[in-house]
Parts: sequence; C-alpha cells; structure tokens
Amino acid sequence: MTVTAESRTVALDPHRVVPGTRPGFSSTLRAEWIKFWSVRSTTWSTVMLFVLGAGLTALICATNAEWLASGEADESPGSFITFGMTFAQITAIVLGALTVTSEYGTGMIRATLAATPRRGAVLAAKALVLTGTLFVAGTVTAFAGYFAGNFFLDREGIGLALGDDGVLRSMFGSGLYMAGLGLLAAGVGILVRHTAAALSIVLALVFVAGNMAFLLPGTWGEWIAKLMPGNAGSPVAVPVPFNPEALAPWTGFAAFGAEVLVLLVIGWVVFQRRDA
Amino acid sequence: MISVSGLTKKYGDKVAVDDVSFTVATGRVTGFLGPNGAGKSTTMRMVLGLDRPTAGSVTVNGRRYRDSAAPLREVGALLEAKALHPGRSARDHLRWLAASNRIPVSRVDEVLSLVGLEAVAGTRVGKFSLGMGQRLGIAVALLGDPPVVVLDEPVNGLDPEGIRWVRTLARQLATEGRTVFISSHLMSEMALTADHLVVIGRGRILADCSMRDFIAEHAASYVRVRSPQHGQVADLLRGAGAEVTPVDDELHVQGLDAAAVGELVGDKGLYLHELTLVRSSLEDAFMTLTSASVEYSARARTDQAGALR
Repeated sequence: MTVTAESRTVALDPHRVVPGTRPGFSSTLRAEWIKFWSVRSTTWSTVMLFVLGAGLTALICATNAEWLASGEADESPGSFITFGMTFAQITAIVLGALTVTSEYGTGMIRATLAATPRRGAVLAAKALVLTGTLFVAGTVTAFAGYFAGNFFLDREGIGLALGDDGVLRSMFGSGLYMAGLGLLAAGVGILVRHTAAALSIVLALVFVAGNMAFLLPGTWGEWIAKLMPGNAGSPVAVPVPFNPEALAPWTGFAAFGAEVLVLLVIGWVVFQRRDA
Repeated sequence: MISVSGLTKKYGDKVAVDDVSFTVATGRVTGFLGPNGAGKSTTMRMVLGLDRPTAGSVTVNGRRYRDSAAPLREVGALLEAKALHPGRSARDHLRWLAASNRIPVSRVDEVLSLVGLEAVAGTRVGKFSLGMGQRLGIAVALLGDPPVVVLDEPVNGLDPEGIRWVRTLARQLATEGRTVFISSHLMSEMALTADHLVVIGRGRILADCSMRDFIAEHAASYVRVRSPQHGQVADLLRGAGAEVTPVDDELHVQGLDAAAVGELVGDKGLYLHELTLVRSSLEDAFMTLTSASVEYSARARTDQAGALR
C-alpha cells in the first residue's frame, strides 16, 4: 500500500460557494438505495423471499391439488395459491429490521446523520427504499407462486383464473403486506436499535402472539386477535383466508396500516430527539 | 471556524462536558487533547449535530451543523473508525456518502488514491485492519473537499508511516486555509502536529493556548547530577539556594543551571559523574495538568458526599 502525502485539493477561498447542486430528498433517497443494495443481506433476503414465497406455494399446491379436487376437501384452493407468502414474511421482517438495526449495530448511524442531518428525510428515504423493494419483490413472488401453483391445480381442474374473486387482489396484496411487515420491523428496529431484539419482538408478535390471541375469551379477546398485526394484515394477501374469523381484506389491511403508521410516528419522534 | 460556547452535556447525573467554550480558527491545526473519557468525542459529536447539547451551542462557519444543506462539503469528519458496515466495500461506503451530498462520483476514486486504498477499494471493510479503517475514515472526511476538517483520534491504529502521513496531511490542510480540529490523547503527537492546543479533562477546559505558550508554561526542566560524594554535593547546592531532590543515586536540581552547578562543585574539588540538563516531556506536563483535574474532581465528589450526610 503506497501513501501519497500530497492532497489533491485546492487552496480554499473561505467565502467560497459550495460547488455543485444542493442535495435534496432525491440525494438522500439515492444514498439509501446504494446503501441498501451494497450489502449482501439484501440480496440474500430478497432471493429467500422469492424462493420461499413462490417455491412453497408451488410445493403445497402440487401436494394438495388431488385432495382439493376431491369431495373430502374442507378448504378452498384460494387459501393455497399464496401459501408460500406465510413464510416469505420472515424474510421481509428480517430485511426491514436490518435496514435500521444494522446502522446501530455498526455505529454507521453517525455517518448517516452526519451526511444528512435532516433525520426525517433519512427515515422517509429508508422507508421508501424498503417498501418499494418489498412491494415489488412480494408482488413478483406472488405471481410466480400463482403461475407455478396453478399449474398443478389446473391439472386437477380446480385452477384459479387471475380474474377470479380476490386472486389479482391477493397478488398485489402480497406485495403490500410484505412492505407493511418490513415497515413494522423497521419501526420496532428504530425503537430497540438491536437486530436480535427487533427480530424477536416482531416474529413473536406476528407468529406467536397473533395465534395465541385467538385463545382469548369473550368479544374483546376476539377483537384483539383480529387486530393483531399479522392477523389483520394478512387477509389481503390471500383470495380465501384459512381463518374465517379474520377481518375483510381491505378492512384488515387498513387496521394493519394504521398500526404500522402509529409505530412509525412514535419511532420518528424518538429518532428526532435521540442522540445518535 | 468552529465556535463552541457554554457547551454542556449531561447523561443523567453524570456531566460529560461541563460549560466548555473555545474557538477553532481557520488556517491552523487545533489539537483537542485529553485523557480517555475527558469528553473529547462527546464534544465532537455535538459539533456534528449528532448529540443534542444539554446547554450551550456550537456553530460551524457561523451556523449550526444541522442547518447545513450539504454538510459533507462544509465539514469533513473522521468519527470512530468503526462507523462502517463490515459487509460493504470501501468504494460503496464512499459512493453512498457522495450521493447523499451530491458529490461527484469521480471524487470517490480521488480520495481512495489519496489515502492509498485504491487497491482494496472493492474489498469489504470488515476485512480491513484498524489502520486501513482509519485511512478510509480520513477518505470520508476529505470526500466533500471541506473547508473544516474534524478528526477524532486519527492516528489510532496507524503504523509509524501512517502517523507521519496524517501529521503531514493535517499540516497541509491547514496551510491550504482550512480549519483543522484533531483530537488525541497523545501529547507527543499533538506537539508535532498542532499549532494551537485545547486541553480538556473531566469535561472542563484546562488550557486553551498556542502550542508554544503551552510548552513554555508547562515543560519544566531540572539538572540531573550524579556524584560519588552525593551528600556533600547536595548540601553544597542547597547552600547555594537550589532545590535538590535525591532520586535513587541521582540528584534533581532546580534553581541553578548546569554551568552554575558544575562551577560550584569544581570550586570545592568534588567529583561529578553526570551533569545533564533534563527537560520534562510535554507528556509529563500533560499528565500533571490532567491528573490535577482528576484529583480536583475526586475531592469535589467527596465533599458532596459529606454534605449529603
């Protein structure tokens, strides 16, 4: 490694005008985009999202098509056509949490905020890059899963057309739900600033607490269960939900969206006030 | 120029920075010196708008850092070397920073070669040594060609060649008319680099003066004398008004210069085995200065505890 002592900088006029265009939000967005795609975990998570989401849908449709076509089936093929997304959720959560917590784990948050002191812009840019990526990846994955899974359903004569009730909605709904989950994990990440803690909290909330809540007694228990983030947000991503008690797709997604929004607002307030 | 005024930072009851005021002037290297935990990094984080002061204010070129639209083009900072994602390459790290402040991408390769990292630009920084991390940090600081450069412990982890390189670079940046603010816990390093010195201990400013004044005021000297007639020489010198401290088989003499000591001893026909003028190092001066502040704080705390009872 050779070292040159000469600096290639020029003598400075102390009253000089800073050269170049003033950076705006698009610069922050570009910086976050480069940051997001220049670590391996992003590629890995996105590939895993696709493999799990499309692969498991194809697998479950292939293994259940015959049963679904028989008279014994007590489930609809519409519950199976986006099945893989249930597992793809995990990767969306991991990606969402890492977007924020990797900066705290490495101390890079200081470089980020020194480069862009407008903290609201940093959060907004992170959220846009994350949700944009997850929405596209989630939607593409859902379509791939549909075409692969439907191949097996078609063979048994129970195939679903894209125009069938809720099918197209569940494709884009999968993208929306993945984006929402990513934001939920990022929001928790802002608050706890620790990867393992953020992942544990969100995975427990979505997978464990969400299912346990259905055991709660009474009407209020039923409502808590319906409003748990995973339970409220996921019906939009399935043509026919497994759970008949779930909220209607868009009602549930609106509730889920509101929950994520509240979390992000709290995160934003904390982020503005906290020392980096 | 950096202006710090009445700056205070408390973490709960603990005061990390206590009513600190100083200015860092343009065109010279200002050393920010203090032992570990004295409040150097906390002060620097407040300069960069990362931490919120409990009281007081900091401005860079007349305005708050947070109000700057393109801060990397106004202030370049080396933070702790590990403010990096280990999985990202050096070039990608610089690329996102450049994008955030609309700095041309060509500047990325420029600073990489400036710090001597062009060969490892594509390597993930997790594989970097501490010294390479420091070089990358300096590349980050210079990325926006900023008129103000803030370097927090830049020589940490560097080999002697790297240390000399940082020293030359800092001097050169100041010669170009930039404001250079460097923190260190090594007095010896500052003595070679800084024109002006701000010394901090336990969150308070202990000295704010030019390097020359600091040396004149704090670097004490004495004459080291060794003689087979130890006791007689000591009595003789004390009789001539000198302050004599026996240390092992040596005498440390203050109040007389080496020539006077030699003549006095020679007049009496006594033998000398050594006669040396010793300047105490700046490191010693710095230790004395900061240890005083440590003692002061410890005593102050005992008083408080007493008052509570």
